[in-house]
Amino acid sequence: MNTRDLVLIALFAAIVVVLGLIPPITLGFIPVPITAQSMGVMLAGCIIGAKRGALAFLLFVLLVAIGLPVLSGGRGGLAVLAGPSGGFILGWAVAAYVTGLIAERFIHEGQPESRQFGGFFLASVVGGIVVLYAIGVPWLSAVTGTPLLAAATGSLAFIPGDLLKAAIATLAARAVYAGYPLLPVRA
Amino acid sequence: MLTSLYVEGNSWFHRLPVRAKLIALLLLSLSLFATQSLYLLAPAFLLCGWLYFSLGLTLRQAVARVGFVFFTILVLAAVNLFLLPLPEVAALVLRLMALVFFAAAVTATTTISAFMDEITILLKPLERMGLLNAADVSLALGLVLRFVPDIFARYEAIREAHRARGLPIRPLTIIGPLIILTLKDADTIAAAIDARGFRRQ
Repeated sequence: MNTRDLVLIALFAAIVVVLGLIPPITLGFIPVPITAQSMGVMLAGCIIGAKRGALAFLLFVLLVAIGLPVLSGGRGGLAVLAGPSGGFILGWAVAAYVTGLIAERFIHEGQPESRQFGGFFLASVVGGIVVLYAIGVPWLSAVTGTPLLAAATGSLAFIPGDLLKAAIATLAARAVYAGYPLLPVRA
Repeated sequence: MLTSLYVEGNSWFHRLPVRAKLIALLLLSLSLFATQSLYLLAPAFLLCGWLYFSLGLTLRQAVARVGFVFFTILVLAAVNLFLLPLPEVAALVLRLMALVFFAAAVTATTTISAFMDEITILLKPLERMGLLNAADVSLALGLVLRFVPDIFARYEAIREAHRARGLPIRPLTIIGPLIILTLKDADTIAAAIDARGFRRQ
């Protein structure tokens, strides 16, 4: 890993921290306010690729674990990891990795714009939603004793918001790809 | 901007080495998940709670730190009440809350540098296998702490630029420029690091 990749990883982790400081956005048609930080996984995979994206999130989780209040709302510390949603936090790195793999596979230069949008959206949905829930929900079920089926049904309520996040991440990732492409330079 | 969750203090728990605390946390979670008995879980919960509240945090701080996690635990417990017998739900809640108390106590009594020393030791085997460089991890951590205020200032500048033009502040129009502007600095920062010979390669 060269120094530039190391710096990109650190800068992206720092961006994710800042996304947690931005006040959550409330949208008229969805009851839960959207925290910009939860788009970080999708953005990391789509913008800096699988390996660097996953490492950025490992670094971010390290920040949480050593007691920095980097999660949105100023939360952090080992208590959050020990709580019911710890699996989602630990799953971020894997989710970013899968997002990045799909984005690297499907996005190429000189494609029509619509293909690129489609690729980023697919990567965000599969990595940032499917993979993340596949780790977070069983974990939550194991830790809290809530039967898996009930936990899975309950998390369906968050899917519309997550799809919206994937759409925003897609547009942002494509904007960054057009302005300053980093995805093709693989670490 | 990023003040650590460490709290100054000189309790016996503060003086305990990090490694002992982390091993205790691991053993506690393993043993709490191994038992279903309320006669073991309730004292564990009280003990961890007492430990956490005796660390010198003000009550409000102490509650604010674990409040959100407790809220999720209670919501899930409310769901569980419909699906599981009451003693089982009580066991689940006590176990999780005890763990969260203990974890929060470890976080509140351990400085970042103590954690980093321990992490560097834990990474040694990986370093020997040639998978990573422990010094890189501390360097990356330092870079994050160094650049968060800068990136936040950049976010505010972009927000002000939106206001000045009378544009609504949307996540989409902020995130794109914020990421491009930030990542464009990577080359100069990397050059600065290499010029100082921090990584010796």
